[in-house]
Amino acid sequence: MGGLSTALLIGVGGLDAAQGALDATSNNIANVNTPGYTREVAQFSEVPENDSNSQITGGGVTLDGLMSIRDELLNMQINQQTSLQNAADTESSSLQQLQTNFTSTGTDIASALTAFSSSLVQLSGNSSSSAAQQGVLSAGQNLAAAFNSTANGLTGAQATANEQVPDTVSQINSLTQQIAQLNGQLAQVPAAENGGTTKDQLDQAVQQLAALTNISITQTNNGETITTGSGTPLVIGNQSFSLQTATGPGGLNEVLDSNGNNITSTISSGTLGGSLNIANQVIPGFLTQLNTLASQFATAFNAAQAAGTDSNGNPGAAFFTGTANLNSAAADIDVGLTSTSQIAISSDGAGGGNGNVANLSAVLTSPLPSGESPENSYASLVFNVGAAASNASTQSTAIGDSLTQLNTLQGSVSAVNIDEETANLLRFQTAYEAATRIVSTVQVLNNATLNMGSGSSF
Amino acid sequence: MRIDPNMVPSLLAELQQSQVQLNTALQQVSTGLRVNQPSDDPTAAAAMVQNTIETGDLDQYTQNVSTSLSTVQTASSVLSSVVTSLTSAVSAGTEGANGTNNASDLQALANQVQGILTSVVSAANTSVSGSYLFGGTSTATPYTADPASPTGYTYNGNNDTNSVAIGDQTSVQVNLPGSQIFSAAGNNVIGSLSSLVTALKGGNSADIETATTAVDSALNFVGQQQVFYGNAETQLNSQETFLQQDKVTLSTQASTLVGVNESTAATELSQAETDNSAALAAVAKVLPNSLLNYLSPPS
Repeated sequence: MGGLSTALLIGVGGLDAAQGALDATSNNIANVNTPGYTREVAQFSEVPENDSNSQITGGGVTLDGLMSIRDELLNMQINQQTSLQNAADTESSSLQQLQTNFTSTGTDIASALTAFSSSLVQLSGNSSSSAAQQGVLSAGQNLAAAFNSTANGLTGAQATANEQVPDTVSQINSLTQQIAQLNGQLAQVPAAENGGTTKDQLDQAVQQLAALTNISITQTNNGETITTGSGTPLVIGNQSFSLQTATGPGGLNEVLDSNGNNITSTISSGTLGGSLNIANQVIPGFLTQLNTLASQFATAFNAAQAAGTDSNGNPGAAFFTGTANLNSAAADIDVGLTSTSQIAISSDGAGGGNGNVANLSAVLTSPLPSGESPENSYASLVFNVGAAASNASTQSTAIGDSLTQLNTLQGSVSAVNIDEETANLLRFQTAYEAATRIVSTVQVLNNATLNMGSGSSF
Repeated sequence: MRIDPNMVPSLLAELQQSQVQLNTALQQVSTGLRVNQPSDDPTAAAAMVQNTIETGDLDQYTQNVSTSLSTVQTASSVLSSVVTSLTSAVSAGTEGANGTNNASDLQALANQVQGILTSVVSAANTSVSGSYLFGGTSTATPYTADPASPTGYTYNGNNDTNSVAIGDQTSVQVNLPGSQIFSAAGNNVIGSLSSLVTALKGGNSADIETATTAVDSALNFVGQQQVFYGNAETQLNSQETFLQQDKVTLSTQASTLVGVNESTAATELSQAETDNSAALAAVAKVLPNSLLNYLSPPS
C-alpha cells in the first residue's frame, strides 16, 4: 500500500544513494594523485514500482555499486608501448655511455691512429732522428692503449647490462606473485564494481611488469592470464610461475622459464629485453668488429715491419703483440718493441735508409683482409655505434610521444577531474539534503497523523 | 568527449622536451659543433675519423716538405760551390798546360788543385743534422783517404736513395748517392782532380791538357746532377702549395661535417628559449585553476 511509510522508505533509499555517491566522490578526490587509480562512479537504478489498490507509485532509488571506469584495450596498448619504451630507454642509456669511448677525446682510437699515422710521416722525413723514432714507438703504444681502453669500455658496458638481468628477473618474479594474488582477490569483487580498486592494483602491477619484459595478457574467468611474448606462462589464475637465470657461454646471463627451458631469445622488450639485447647482441657485434680490426691491423703492420731491417741489421720484429686470441685482440694488443732501434726503418739494411717507412705508413691506408683500410674500418665502427645510439634514442622519443598520447586518452577515460568531482559533491550534497527533508517531512506528517483527533490539535 | 583532466604529465613532458632542445642549442652554440658525439650524426662522425687522420698527416707532410726543401737546397748550394771549385781547377789546368811554366809554377798550380781536391772531398762529406748528403743511405763518412786507391779516396757510402713522404701516395727523392756525383764511372770528379794534380806534378803539357779536359767534363757532369736538386725543389714548392689548398679543403669539409652554422644555431637557441618560457608560462597558468577558486567556502 502507498502511504507515509513508503515515502519514508523512498526517502531513506535516497539518503543511502546520495551517501554512496558522496563516498565515491570523496574517494575520487582523495585519490586524485594515486597512480593507477581509476575514478569511480556511483551506479543508481530505480526500484520497481509499487502497484497497490490500482495506485502506481515509484519505489525510489537503489545504489547498485561504485563502478570503476576503465578501458581495457587502452591498458593493453599502454602495456605494449611501455615494454617497447623501456627496452629503448635501457638500450639508449647504455649506448650513450658507451659511445663516449668513440668520441674524439684525444685518447680515443681515432686520435691515436692520427698520431700514429703522422708519426710515421714524420719518420719518413727524419728517419735518423731519435725523436722521430721515439715518436713512432710512443704513438704505437698509445694506439695499443686506445684499443685496450675502448675494448674495456665495451666489455664494462656489457657487464653492466648483464648484471641487470638477474635483478630484473627477480623483480618480474615478485610482480607475478603479486599479480597472481590480486587475481585471486579479483574473483571476490562484485561484478558491478568493474574490478574496483583490486583491478586498479592489478593493472598497476601488470603495467610495472610490462615495463620489465614483453607480455601478453588474456582475460579469463580467473582474472588475467599473463604469458611472456613467446607464450611461456607467468600467471594463470592465482598461480604464478617464476623465471630463473643461469650463466651461459661467455659469462652472459640466460633467462629460463619455470621448467628450465632457455627463453632468452624470445624476450624482446622491456628493461630485460633491452639489457639482454645490449649484452648479447649489440656489444658483442661492436667487440667483434673492434677485435677483427686490432688483429688484422697488427698482422698487417707486423708484416710490413718484418719486410724491413731495423737499425741493428735484423729483420723487423713484431711491432704489435697480444692479438693471437681473436676474441680479446683489442683488449690484449700491446707493443712488442722495447727500443727504437727495433723499428724496421730501412729496406736495404743501411743505417740511414728510410725505404721501409713508406711500407709501414701504407698499412694504415691499405685494405685489410676485411676489405677496408684500418682507418675506414674504425670509421665504420664509429658509424655503427653512433647509429645504434641515435636509433635507440629516436625510438625512445617516438614511443614516448605515443605513450603520452595513450596516457592522455586513458586519463580522459579514467582520471579524476577535480572540477567534475567538486560539482558532483554539490550535486550529491543537495540530493542528500533533499532526502533528509523527505524524512523530516514524513516525521512531521506522522506526528500530525498520530495527533489527529486529540483536542489540542483543533 | 571527456578530456584528460590531468594536465601535469603532458605539461611536464613538454617542459622537458623544451629543456632538451634548449640544452642542445646551448651546447651547439658554446662548442661551435653540431656533432659532439657519434649519435648526433653517425655519418659525419665516421667521416671525421678520416678527416682527422688526413689533417694530422697533412701537417706532417708540410713539415716534411720544409725539411726536405732545406736538405735539397743545401745539397744544391754545395754542388754550386763544387762547380766553382772545379772551374778554378780547369783554369789552373789550362794555365799549367800552356808550356810557359817552370817547375815551381807547376808545383804551385799542383798545390792549388790539391787544395781544390780537398775542398771538393770535404763538400762531398757534407752532413746535415748527422746525415751525409752524398752517402746514399749509409751512415759512414762518404769519402775517406785511401793510399791504395788510384784516386787517393774510397767511397764508403752505398748507391741507395731515400724518399720522403710529402703527400698520400706522393714522395720525393731527396738525395743522390756520392757515387753518382763525385766518383761516377767516366766522369769521376775526384779521380780527374787527382789525375790533374799528378799531371801538374809530372809537368807534361799533353798530360796536363788531357787531365784538364777530364776535369772540364766532370764539371759539366756535376752541373747536370745539380738539375736533379733543382727539379726536387720545384716539386717540393708546388707540393707545398697543394698541401695548403688541401688543408683548406679538409678544414672546410670538417666544418661542413661537424661544425655548426652560427646564424642557424643562434636562431635555434632563441627559438628554444622562447619555447621553454612558453612551456613554463603554461605550467604556471594552468595548474592553480580549478572550480574551487570560484566557490565560496561552506558556511
